[in-house]
Amino acid sequence: MKKVLLSAAATALFGTGAYADCGDMSLAVFSWQSAEAMSNVDQFILNNGYGCNATIVAGDTVPTITAMIEKGQPDISSESTPSLLGDVYKSGAAEGRISQIGTAISDGQVSGWYIPQYVADAHPEIKTVEDAMAHPELFPAPEDPSKGGVLQGPEGWGDTVVTAQLYKALDGDSKGFELVPSGSGAALEGAITKAYEQKQGFIAAYWAPTSLLVKYPMLRLEGPHDDAEWARCTSVQDCPDPKVNYWKPAEMITLASADFAKSADPAVLEYFGKRSWTQAEVSQVMLWMTENQANGADAARWFVQNMPEVWTKWVPADVAEKVKAAAE
Amino acid sequence: MDWLTKFPQIDPAVLLTVKRAIDGSLRGLTRSYGKAIENFFYPLQQVLIFFEKMISATPWPIVILVLAAVAWAAARSWKVVAGVVGTMVAIGLLGLWGDAMLTVSLVLTSTIFAILIGLPLGILMNRYQTAGRVMSTVLDVMQTMPPFVYLIPVVMLLGIGRVPGFIAVVIYALPPIIRLTDLGIRLVDKEVLEAADAYGCSRNQKLWKVQLPLAMPTIMAGINQTIMMALGMVVIASMIGVQGLGLNVLQAIANQYFTQGIFNGFAIVGIAIVFDRISQAYGRRLQKHRSVGHE
Repeated sequence: MKKVLLSAAATALFGTGAYADCGDMSLAVFSWQSAEAMSNVDQFILNNGYGCNATIVAGDTVPTITAMIEKGQPDISSESTPSLLGDVYKSGAAEGRISQIGTAISDGQVSGWYIPQYVADAHPEIKTVEDAMAHPELFPAPEDPSKGGVLQGPEGWGDTVVTAQLYKALDGDSKGFELVPSGSGAALEGAITKAYEQKQGFIAAYWAPTSLLVKYPMLRLEGPHDDAEWARCTSVQDCPDPKVNYWKPAEMITLASADFAKSADPAVLEYFGKRSWTQAEVSQVMLWMTENQANGADAARWFVQNMPEVWTKWVPADVAEKVKAAAE
Repeated sequence: MDWLTKFPQIDPAVLLTVKRAIDGSLRGLTRSYGKAIENFFYPLQQVLIFFEKMISATPWPIVILVLAAVAWAAARSWKVVAGVVGTMVAIGLLGLWGDAMLTVSLVLTSTIFAILIGLPLGILMNRYQTAGRVMSTVLDVMQTMPPFVYLIPVVMLLGIGRVPGFIAVVIYALPPIIRLTDLGIRLVDKEVLEAADAYGCSRNQKLWKVQLPLAMPTIMAGINQTIMMALGMVVIASMIGVQGLGLNVLQAIANQYFTQGIFNGFAIVGIAIVFDRISQAYGRRLQKHRSVGHE
């Protein structure tokens, strides 16, 4: 707060242009690639186009959202999936401590259980999670090939809770499967890469848009979805009697802490209101990142230079000029 | 003046080619030798699974009895025995028994392996000083390299689970036992060695009958450190799918379950204290024996 006051005082004294009262802000970035790309693009455009001083704070989903709710920092989460955040977000939003200020990905994000394309091609009859659960022999567990395995996502993610509940509902244990915790996103991706390169079968909880899915085509298994049941049990970790309930495409939104939403520069809020990606656009950026082993900052620069048709729709013409000049 | 303010780095395009080539060859390695590497580690995996099953399947009263017996044998002190039993009972009461056993089995197996590898290496390091200096550098790398840097390639080669977790723990826990074995042998009194020479000891006799027994307290300190390091790695290992207390901690951190984090954290601390008291008391008793001999 002190910093904000100071910079506000500084801009009052020196008056540095049209968007001068933008000031300091912090953008949360999560460990997966699309969040990294989007947060960095936001930072690039805000800093160069609006004269903000946006910094990027790395963290894991739930801790970051909790910090936004409890401490009002970081100010913005560029890309969040409320349906996967569960109670943390619901209670925060109900108390008005956190709110949506824009859409992140217009066609949303989708999680699911994925199987490699080569298995899907060889066994076209496998379409749904139930189909897959009938064939433990096709998806050997990493450490015990006599059983089938379902690779879980990072510990603490909403998807991981849903995977565990879905597994419980399908009664995987009695069908010859076991649930394999991967611990972290990096380990999950390592495990998928390993299995794919060796052309082994696997079932993994994963999500789109991701560059790994572009690189290693996988088929998303299907399943039924019920909203009420989802809220009652599927997304609740300790719920004892889950039913078979599957992900539906989740909206990806931009969140802001209450303080920020109240006091921010209207031009900045307008930017977040207009800024919205599609899955295809994000995938394109992520593919470039993977191919070039680039980080988020490089990706932002590349995106500004190479995909102007996307982002120039988000900002006024004079801002677009400044952003374009900065990317040269 | 641009070159003064900007470091003249290697052309990014060249760097990128190098990075891609190395990554590509790792992927190629996975593709062509993945099965073979997995088979190579298969016996290790079976040993790990065997230990884990054995410890998990043992009824809890027996586990506590065995630990109490070991504590008594090592320390000969009822206080230590009571502390060990009390800690284990507390862990059990908190509902963490199963996870604690998984963690204990990982720490136990990796400590045994670390001792089996580390003791001979420490002796070699002491005998061949030049090689010792090289090894010392390698040990520095092992202790400071962030684990995830080598964990992800390991996961790509071996998948997630016990074996990569075990490898990570051993890499991290190995240095103290090597270093302290070397140090312990070096600290043996010159006079004692001269006496051994005077009695006409061969090099091997000197090592086994004089140097190692006298270095034992220091080596025990090394083993103690190795166990502590192994326990410290439990949370990191859980990030590549190793089950046990570490996974609970990870889950607690990510979900902001403060109490769950504290419980599991203290369970790890409790196990650490149990191992620490047992191994230290044993080391001290060895030392006492020596000082008696000197009188």
